Amino acid sequence: MKAVTKLLAAVLSGFTSLAAAHKPSDSYLTVRVDGAAVSGHWDIALRDLDSVLDLDRDRDGRIAWGEVRMRAVEIDAYAMSHLKLDVGAGPCSMSASDLLIDHHSDGAYAVLTFAGRCPQAVGTLTVDYSLLFDIDAQHRGLLKLENASATPDEASVVTAVFPSDRRRQAFASGGTSAWSQLGSFIGDGIGHIAAGFDHILFLVALLLPAALGRRGRTWFAVPGLSVALWNVAKTVTAFTVAHSITLSLATLHVVQLPSRLTESMIALSVLVTAIDNLVPILPPKRWVVAFLFGLMHGFGFASVLVDLNLPRSSLALSLFGFNVGVEMGQLVLVALLVPLAYLAREKRFYKFAVLDGGSLLIAIVALGWLVERSLNLKLMPF
Amino acid sequence: MPLEGRCLGNFMKIGRSIPVSAAVLGVLLASTAAAAPFRPANDADILEQLPSRGGGNTDRVARAMQAMLVRDPRDLDVALRLAQLFVDRARSESDPRQLGRAQATLAPWWDENAPPIPVLLLRATIRQSSHQFDPARADLEQIIARDSGNAQAWLTLATVQQVTGDLDDARRRCERVAALATASIGTLCMASVDGVSGRAAAAYAAVNALPSHAGMLSSEARVQTWATTLEAELAERLARPLDAERAYRASLAVDPTDAYTIAAYADFLLDAGRASDVVALIPLDTPVDGLLLRRAQADRALGSADAARSARDLTDRFAALRERGDRVHLREEARFTLEILDKPQAALELALENWSVQKEPLDARIALECALAAREPHAVDDIVRWVERTRLEGVHLHALVDRVRAP
Repeated sequence: MKAVTKLLAAVLSGFTSLAAAHKPSDSYLTVRVDGAAVSGHWDIALRDLDSVLDLDRDRDGRIAWGEVRMRAVEIDAYAMSHLKLDVGAGPCSMSASDLLIDHHSDGAYAVLTFAGRCPQAVGTLTVDYSLLFDIDAQHRGLLKLENASATPDEASVVTAVFPSDRRRQAFASGGTSAWSQLGSFIGDGIGHIAAGFDHILFLVALLLPAALGRRGRTWFAVPGLSVALWNVAKTVTAFTVAHSITLSLATLHVVQLPSRLTESMIALSVLVTAIDNLVPILPPKRWVVAFLFGLMHGFGFASVLVDLNLPRSSLALSLFGFNVGVEMGQLVLVALLVPLAYLAREKRFYKFAVLDGGSLLIAIVALGWLVERSLNLKLMPF
Repeated sequence: MPLEGRCLGNFMKIGRSIPVSAAVLGVLLASTAAAAPFRPANDADILEQLPSRGGGNTDRVARAMQAMLVRDPRDLDVALRLAQLFVDRARSESDPRQLGRAQATLAPWWDENAPPIPVLLLRATIRQSSHQFDPARADLEQIIARDSGNAQAWLTLATVQQVTGDLDDARRRCERVAALATASIGTLCMASVDGVSGRAAAAYAAVNALPSHAGMLSSEARVQTWATTLEAELAERLARPLDAERAYRASLAVDPTDAYTIAAYADFLLDAGRASDVVALIPLDTPVDGLLLRRAQADRALGSADAARSARDLTDRFAALRERGDRVHLREEARFTLEILDKPQAALELALENWSVQKEPLDARIALECALAAREPHAVDDIVRWVERTRLEGVHLHALVDRVRAP
């Protein structure tokens, strides 16, 4: 009997290709930006609110105004906890002020009016939208972003759609134009390095032995700072040149690789570099290693930039800005790591605890990534 | 990637971007300009009617299962039952919102390449309903590779292939269904394919020869609806209007809410010039876009006072769909653009885009109608060849083909 019932589900889902009923769930979000002030209204279907907050308390299959009005505080709290606006300097604080009703083509909507302030005047506004995705994977947020301070030759309204797989989107507003845009791309680059544990671990694995030289299987401390710095400069430059090449090629759509492949290769590069610190398996010249693997990491960086849907006109600018940001992030890491590596290079614990121990840890993490990414599993917490 | 995908828009550049976005923006502005939020006068004012769910028992079950999943979202058994409940609801209420619910319920497994077979089956069903036919087909083929005795997968695959015009393969899938499932399911699968490939008479005889539909178990009401509606469509294709009408009515007697049957019957009535019967069949406030479209056509044909309202409601609904970026309702949108908006050129583009995705008789028909109205008969040369090759039957369709081919 169970088999028959299951069969029916399939029959019918196919049978009714006229699933063209009313549309899936959407919310309509309007945000007005004026300096550091933000305000707006947010239309959310009563049917959707009912499914999370159980509005129909008397269970008569209908939602009355009283059932909405009495729950206004909960509705506001629920909605506002699923919307975050950020201007880079920190989140904007917002609160809902009024609750009205409106009709859209597919039914009645609660209209939340809200207002708030951002820590500084809005340059790049990041909108983090997470309403309803946990219960409805096909829900979409439809944003209309109005810029009150736009000059007449600038368009003052931008629209965007937030599906469940693109919850966070950033919008550069007018004002300081290209410079502020460049700034935001640099910020994206830094952010990507800072949040990209795989790139960081690769650099760490590369740089741990920066103040050491290698004879056969044994490491020895380099005689002076200049040798150590020269090592670092060669390695970092090679990495930078290599990933800039592939980042540009991929962003300009000259070469494209499937992300599963590049992500797996990046994990492999971290693994191999860390193992090489323990047992030499790679070419002795570190800058060669940095260059070859840097090519792979460039494809990884590009996947972020491609997702940004850049306008063609600002492609060169964004590519440049993003790269500068990545370099700046790298330099910070170098500035933190290399002095310590240099000062501690002659200590026994550096060789055993930091170089060997650290490389082993990195290798284990990288192996986890490699398995996860190549087999498309979810194992790692980051 | 550690970072979520981000998208950078640009306040300044957007105004100079392509005209399409300007049009979208225009629609958006227009639709919000018409909106006027208000504060209802009385607490007792009814704002929204929720779908009725016979006694609310399944509602309680659904809420209990949701509570269990909050504690353990990876409880596969509960997730499958809840997702199935949402998929059933999507169908019985004609509500795509429920498909998003089902998908969210399966979120822990949704992005896996090889999830458990029951998850694959539901994922294929949900994807197919969103017209993602290729991913749906891949899921179904994976099931068959892992479990060749899965009748449900074979049947759904046959359906997907029929919708996308892969008729020879669909027929082969139906042969497997016949071997694995009950005789009547196998017969119906085969008759659906035969009915669109030059064997409508044989298919009609086969469906008629099934044990009396009324004698089927009451729990198989859905199969009964499927059989009877198919019988009606085949009779219509064979130019037997009396038999068709009788079967449509019999099917609606079993399930008066089945949107597919109502739509097919309404089309039959519109072709027969019986617009007032369509008005009686479909209420003006139907939530189903496909039905409102038929109602709007009927209102227009009658010159009724409701024509303006149904046309405006439909305009709003298609605008709302475009805003969210959906391309699922192209067939209906093409027909709406042709019949209600009188824009044959735009309708033809939509109909051809639709034809590249799905190839059912209605898809061919709307494309031919648009091409004739737009005076671009050569735009549908491929479709005419398709009709000839598949030997698709139907009086109206062949009249259209003849007009398209006429010099």
